[in-house]
Amino acid sequence: MLRFILSRFARAALTIGMVVTFAFVVLRLSGDPAQIILGADAEPEAVDAFRASWGLDQPVWLQYFHYFGAILSGDLGRSMRDGRDAMTLVLERIPATLLLTLPALAIKLALGIPAGMLAALHRNSFLDRAVMALAVAGFTVPSFVLGLLLVLVFAVQLGWLPSGGQGTWQHAVLPVITLGVGGAAVLARFTRSAMLEVLGQPYIRTASAKGVPWGAVVRGHALPNAAIPTVTIIGFMVGSLIAGAVVVESVFSWPGVGRLLVVAVANRDLAVVQCVLLLVAATMVTSNLVVDLLYGVLDPRLRSR
Amino acid sequence: MSLSRRAALALPLAAPAFAQTDNRPTLTIAVQKISNTNTMEPLREQSNVGSRTWFNHGETLIEQDWWGDLSLRPALATAWRRIDDRTVELTLRNDVKMHDGRTMTAEDVQFSFGPDRMGWNMATEQARNLFGSIPTQARQAPPEVLAVARRTYPALERVEIVNPTTIRFVNRTPDLTLEGRLSRNTGMIISRDAFEKQTNWLEWARRPIGTGPYRIADFRADQVLTLEAFDEYWGGRPPARRLRFVEVPEVASRINMLLSGEADFACDIPPDQIRSVERSGRHEIVGGTIMNHRLTVFDKNHPNLRNPLIRRAFTHAIDRETIVSALFGGRSVVPKGLQFDFYGSMLIEGWAPPRYDLAEARRLLREAGYRGEPIPYRLLAGYYTNQLAVAQVMVEGWRAVGLNVQIEMRENFPQVLSREGARGVRDWSNSASYNDPVSSLVAQHGPNGQQWQIGEWQNEEFGRLSAELETGTDPTQRRATFRRMLEIAEREDPAYTVLHQSVNLTAKRRDLRWQAGQSFVMDFRGRNWGA
Repeated sequence: MLRFILSRFARAALTIGMVVTFAFVVLRLSGDPAQIILGADAEPEAVDAFRASWGLDQPVWLQYFHYFGAILSGDLGRSMRDGRDAMTLVLERIPATLLLTLPALAIKLALGIPAGMLAALHRNSFLDRAVMALAVAGFTVPSFVLGLLLVLVFAVQLGWLPSGGQGTWQHAVLPVITLGVGGAAVLARFTRSAMLEVLGQPYIRTASAKGVPWGAVVRGHALPNAAIPTVTIIGFMVGSLIAGAVVVESVFSWPGVGRLLVVAVANRDLAVVQCVLLLVAATMVTSNLVVDLLYGVLDPRLRSR
Repeated sequence: MSLSRRAALALPLAAPAFAQTDNRPTLTIAVQKISNTNTMEPLREQSNVGSRTWFNHGETLIEQDWWGDLSLRPALATAWRRIDDRTVELTLRNDVKMHDGRTMTAEDVQFSFGPDRMGWNMATEQARNLFGSIPTQARQAPPEVLAVARRTYPALERVEIVNPTTIRFVNRTPDLTLEGRLSRNTGMIISRDAFEKQTNWLEWARRPIGTGPYRIADFRADQVLTLEAFDEYWGGRPPARRLRFVEVPEVASRINMLLSGEADFACDIPPDQIRSVERSGRHEIVGGTIMNHRLTVFDKNHPNLRNPLIRRAFTHAIDRETIVSALFGGRSVVPKGLQFDFYGSMLIEGWAPPRYDLAEARRLLREAGYRGEPIPYRLLAGYYTNQLAVAQVMVEGWRAVGLNVQIEMRENFPQVLSREGARGVRDWSNSASYNDPVSSLVAQHGPNGQQWQIGEWQNEEFGRLSAELETGTDPTQRRATFRRMLEIAEREDPAYTVLHQSVNLTAKRRDLRWQAGQSFVMDFRGRNWGA
């Protein structure tokens, strides 16, 4: 087990290293932070001075050397926009993002899994088709379209809820629904197909033939076996708790990590982007690690490998 | 007057309630961006978005009449006069309270233009590090502040205190534009005392202490800027209790906030959204042209643009009137070249951009021997209002005369300006921050301007004339110089061609009596409220 965990950690470190390198290459070679931050009309001397003060006038390989060296020594840097500590900036935004993503995850689980099960247990019925039609609609409508539609109806026309920003719990309702609906739809489809595959297995037929009540077959044999692919998807959803609301946060002007990431990427504010990516990578890697461990719990055969 | 014992006992209880009664509204303004640099100090935040907020918390000695004829008018100085062509003397208001409670003094004014604030004494060599840069943690201003100050006041020699209410600005060289330069937001007067108490320049820059009608109460970068009324403001009690500039990047979301009643103003509204806002009946669009012209800019180093005849062909194949009428609903105008009406005596009357003449464009291309070689057009999707639509109109015009213009989409300005690969034509806009061509033509296209500095366009005679225009004192000679510069940059050896005057539209509640200025600046003083 220890070897398994260590190998996972080594892979995680490699993944994070690659993410950081990729972020540096893409951001540094696709735009000059000085010109972006100071503006299109900035005086050339101001741009040059900004570049010099942040070392952006040095060769790119040397910048990368400083960049990677700083990370290894635990210095995640400062925002080029306002000089604040990049990690502090990111950590300040995490609670706001979790205020959206955690309730949205609850909605995904509460709606998606029962809906998928229901559809599978009533395969080819009207109920199945209705649930799947809703699921297809749920994940094909982009979140920015759904978000704007909800705002038009519930904020502009009915005036029941705020259209954006953060303040009261009402501000979170529309973004949470927007985030939750798409994820629930994905989960419903995965759950349905996993359940269908399991329900077609010989051990389900055997249990039924032995006279085990259908409810007990579903609870005792179908659900645990169908949980493995579903847990994988849930793992991805948990992994994206930190930065999984980029579009929704922009549409609803929600001051979370997603908005911060968009602004930081647009400004090529490397230290901030790097911090967000590190956190996202760490969350994703941890989540995957937990999922790998859960496989062992869900499927006893995997424990002996 | 008699006072009963019961009434006397009740007074202390009633007084706080009375003091708390403030019926002034809190106004919410939905903006696309609050600040590019996450600072409120105009010496660093030089953007259009920054100018929208700064005028409410900061003030200059002289200001521009953005709501009238754009002339210079008194602000923190009540009057000014020329001592000679290098010196301007100003009389200061003596009743100005600063946000830290102190009364503004001549020392504050002198300090605002001094080495500590403007960075004149900054060491040229600073620590260089991509991360944990030392300047950002220091009391000293970052180096871009010095660069901005140098460009705005290139020859400022000293600021002299004549007496407690009189101050003199002395230039090293003659400069007739000094009063105009003092009206730029970089000349915001700050509290010397507050600045000297700061321990970190960037902390200071997030909440500078000035003299405006509102003071900065809270600034959360990329989220919200809250200004609260400063009731000791010399110009009278501000009409709003609080101003909230809320950052809402999506235009649809800004309009929704307005229509749902969560915002009182929504900024940066594109012309195609005018109807959807005004349909509500409770809202209206205000604003119009501002002191900024949209341009198409040439890189004369491109092999096919070296010949000025080809660049001239470009300028004749743009249907500016169609752009103004079809894409801006008549709310914009075709400018008289890179100049503005408020230049006054410096305005070259009768000057116009090259006429729309496809036959002339074709003739010029024939004369140049152009054979349809590709010319790149680096384009951003939506930096300027209607940018893509304007580009499409232009490209069709160019195609009609045989110019093979290839659009190359770019994500940001550095990619547009990058020297890597071939640069051909690109979009730009030029502002005039005061009433003289030095503020636009020289500042943007002269030897210190962006186009010259990045190697797109240089012209020896134009460079010489730029210096003459900056230091010249004879009005007739300056006018002649300016005309010659326009001839070079717009006709003989085109550096750019003007397209249309920029438009700034703001959506607002119809019941709020508030006027938009001819600028991005928003004014929430009493003088611009309820009229």
